[in-house]
Amino acid sequence: MSTIDYEHLIQEDKVHGSLYTDEAIYEDEIEKIFYSSWVFIGHESEIKKRGDYVTRDIGRSSVIMVRGKDEDIQVIVNRCQHRGNLLCNESQGNKRNFTCPYHGWVFGLNGDLLDVSYPGGFDRPLEELNLEVLVTDSYRGFVFASFKEPTISFDDYLGNGKKLIDRSCNMAPNGKIDLKGGWIRQHFDANWKMLPENDTDGYHVNYVHQSFVRAIDSQYGDFVGAEDSIKGVIKNWGNGHTEIDFAPGYTKTLDWLGSTPEKAKSYVDSMREAYGQEKADQMLYDGPAHACIFPNLFLAEMNIVIFQPTGAHSAVQWSTPMFLEGAPELDFKLLRQSEGALGPASFLLADDASIAERAQKALGAGTPWCDLSRGLNRETEDTDGVKTSHMTDETSNRGFWHHYRDVMMGELS
Amino acid sequence: MNQPVSEAIAKQLEAFIIQEAKLADEGQYEAWEGLWADDAVYWVPLKEGDDPTQQVSHLYDNRTRIATRIRQLMTGYRYSQLPISGMRRLISNYEFFAEDDKRYRVEANFFLPEYSIQSIHDFRIWSGRYVYTLSAKDDGFQIHTKKVLLVNGTEPVPTMAFLI
Repeated sequence: MSTIDYEHLIQEDKVHGSLYTDEAIYEDEIEKIFYSSWVFIGHESEIKKRGDYVTRDIGRSSVIMVRGKDEDIQVIVNRCQHRGNLLCNESQGNKRNFTCPYHGWVFGLNGDLLDVSYPGGFDRPLEELNLEVLVTDSYRGFVFASFKEPTISFDDYLGNGKKLIDRSCNMAPNGKIDLKGGWIRQHFDANWKMLPENDTDGYHVNYVHQSFVRAIDSQYGDFVGAEDSIKGVIKNWGNGHTEIDFAPGYTKTLDWLGSTPEKAKSYVDSMREAYGQEKADQMLYDGPAHACIFPNLFLAEMNIVIFQPTGAHSAVQWSTPMFLEGAPELDFKLLRQSEGALGPASFLLADDASIAERAQKALGAGTPWCDLSRGLNRETEDTDGVKTSHMTDETSNRGFWHHYRDVMMGELS
Repeated sequence: MNQPVSEAIAKQLEAFIIQEAKLADEGQYEAWEGLWADDAVYWVPLKEGDDPTQQVSHLYDNRTRIATRIRQLMTGYRYSQLPISGMRRLISNYEFFAEDDKRYRVEANFFLPEYSIQSIHDFRIWSGRYVYTLSAKDDGFQIHTKKVLLVNGTEPVPTMAFLI
């Protein structure tokens, strides 16, 4: 039974610094968020053929996302049921089955124990020692899983998050994205929650990224002027899902791609053919989602990002370009844009990491509270309960924290 | 291709690379940028064998993006290198080759201790292999490609905003 008073630590307009630094809170999060309900694992396009797999780290566990013999996708705990050895040490590959390197036990792609070596000394039924399989579901290729039977259905968990995933996937003429570009993994010496907080914080761009804004002419230049001139909006979609919607602030079609309809003619043509001119032109103006799906997925415009907690004081951010099926001519540009924005040597995230690490250092001392009130005086709520405000407001972070509080208090999972 | 080079040329190539390393270590950004040829590629792949047209890299800069990188470092607001990390890299195990079209390829191992003082004051070790393509220019050389193969490029790596 938890003795941590989350109701006190997370209030309407402030959060307590210990939420980022307390080891007991971190352990509680691993149990209540990462071992009890839906988390993002990976995308179906990463495992196209039967036997293709990738490994991911969830909570303290390694898991394998694998395409099985009926083309179905399963998420299996990467731990032999015999003596607990790691079955799969590679981050990706293709296998006919999983053979434990320790004593040679063989498991099928669905986790079933198929064979044990020297069976003379083993008279248990094999099915008693199948691998642990997670509850798995997917939406538009995004695979989510839960270690325990979740108390909330997958549909209810995703909620409005479906609209955000739709917005990103629909940037492809056939509605399908392809994560085949490989993952950069960036280490942060900061608590994992700073990643979703910062990624939908529209307030820091002009400060943390001042060197970027000064050195580089990009679409983000539209979002750093005087307060009244910033037209982007911040959104709390509910369930901890949050967004910066840049679309109202863009000034031209394909601003988000740093391109023009003339330069990207073949892409624009295939989008118009797929969706009709009027709808396609609106989508090409608005661009993909910039949104976090609680707890660990970030639809980062033309990239997909995963947040991985590795301790109270460290985290890893995974990033990969979001390629669009039917528009391979964009791949090279998307690769270079991904490297420019995300990863340890990038023009943006390198600075976010240093600033997050400074916060991690300072949060443990002095006044323990962090203010979270910005925009309470002007945010609006629509009939769906979606809250919207000025891009620099903390509507998104309140959305994250208040959902987090409900999950940690056991009021949701 | 892949002909050996004379001892005299090898010495000059090594001296040039030592100079390039010194400029990077000391944050002499404009001088470092001046070493690059117009067709420059400054590349840190995740691993050997990666295709930069298909797979994401830690960085893959052409000449324009090298200029952008330097411009950003010189704004005075690049927090991930403010102040610049303490660095003194060692380069060793050189191999020198003459290639076609008057270019030289130099491969060497590097060992780069970094004292990261922007946030948590962490002492870090970076290591791997440099692969340069160089050609003669004026009294020295210019860099066409510098590929940096980290020994741990596929693992989580911390901020790498300095010139590696």
